Amino acid sequence: MSEQQFEPSVIAFLCNWCSYAGADLAGTSRIQYPTNLDIIRVMCSGRVNPLFIVNALQQGADGVLVSGCHPGDCHYMEGNFYARRRFTLMNELLNYVGVDAKRFNMSWVSASEGAKWKDVVEEVVENAKEAGPFEQFRRNKINW
Amino acid sequence: MVDLEKLRTVAKETISRDDVKYLIGWRQGTYGFRVTPCFIEEPGEAEQLIFSPLCTNNLASYLIVTEKLPLPRGEKPDTRKVAVMVKGCDSRAVVQQLIEQGIKREELYIIGCPCEGVLDLKKVEAKFPHILDPVAAQWGKDKIIFQLPEGVVEVPREEVLAQKCLDCRDPNPVIADITLGEEIEAWGNGEYQDVKELEAKSAEERWAFWEDKFSSCIRCYSCRNVCPMCYCKDCILDRLNPSWIYRSTNISENTAFHLSRAFHLAGRCIECGECERVCPVDIPLMKLNQKFSKEVEEKYGYRPGIDPEAKPLQSSYRPDDKEDFIL
Repeated sequence: MSEQQFEPSVIAFLCNWCSYAGADLAGTSRIQYPTNLDIIRVMCSGRVNPLFIVNALQQGADGVLVSGCHPGDCHYMEGNFYARRRFTLMNELLNYVGVDAKRFNMSWVSASEGAKWKDVVEEVVENAKEAGPFEQFRRNKINW
Repeated sequence: MVDLEKLRTVAKETISRDDVKYLIGWRQGTYGFRVTPCFIEEPGEAEQLIFSPLCTNNLASYLIVTEKLPLPRGEKPDTRKVAVMVKGCDSRAVVQQLIEQGIKREELYIIGCPCEGVLDLKKVEAKFPHILDPVAAQWGKDKIIFQLPEGVVEVPREEVLAQKCLDCRDPNPVIADITLGEEIEAWGNGEYQDVKELEAKSAEERWAFWEDKFSSCIRCYSCRNVCPMCYCKDCILDRLNPSWIYRSTNISENTAFHLSRAFHLAGRCIECGECERVCPVDIPLMKLNQKFSKEVEEKYGYRPGIDPEAKPLQSSYRPDDKEDFIL
């Protein structure tokens, strides 16, 4: 597959209260944005286990996005503060073992930010495209 | 330096107490440079205790994995304390376990042993191969004194000490009921030289490095079993449904295993180096763990296992935590 034709698959973990509603708003406002995203709705960005990201990469994702409410706006008061610490560290770990820094992204998108959601998706998909197909520790690429 | 006579006297007194169940310490192993952990229940057994540069094992691991069988009806729980000998790094493990409420302070009697650094047996055995008789060792000034079968040999400490000990910042126990010997001045500088060297390389080089290391992993889980901080009753690695990480040994599953193992120690690892010591295929696990120690210290000013009153890093937050990578 040549570089131009490569369409990355990106897994996005969106929090139910802000980012998912933000993506929904983008949809109802008919904002056009890339379709490479597979959205998984979770109740809070604090629910996302860093293992999900490793697992998504193993199972064939080329990029991962975790998105939640802006700090201070969490529906559960403090979930995204914990998520922030957790994924700052996870990001460092992934970079450290040599996974392209562009593959893992995190963003804060609130329910009213349909336009920002479009920008985020465009950037994330662009990042994943630049990073290319993920093969470092993908599960199905292995010959048994 | 810890005086052996004093150590044994203190151990005897401790075991004789009514409120102490047993004492965990070190004794000479059966051959070579091996020193083995021992569980002492009678005052008479205290004579076999030693404390020397060969006492590498982190005894804090035993505190938390002790099996607690269900009590027969009508029987009262045994509330006696467990006495444990700790080096500086072991005491940090104890503190971290206390922070996480894995154990209770009143269940412990801690005998602190200031430590001038323990040996890396791989280095020592490369230097003195094929020694079967038990060997004693002790600290000298900037050197280690071995009593080998052929006589006394002195070796500069840099040549045989474990790497984690050469960079040690906590040679004195941070928590102890009784401390043997005098306090030692710390010599480590906390610069994380190894980590910085690896960070300076490009992403491709780093992946090539780790791919080589991870692909040799045989998934024996020694690193998990020996770790004083790995004590979940239900470990994701043992769980079959959902089975996040398959049991096959290939680069994909091995990487997932090592990433999750390292992440589970983020902000918790006290750098005792046990995982690296027991690894049969010499994966430099401390380079992963120290990466987190470095990040956690730089970003949040947090060092695990220092302050028993602190909150665990990942279950606390500050509103102004850095978020420079977030879009």
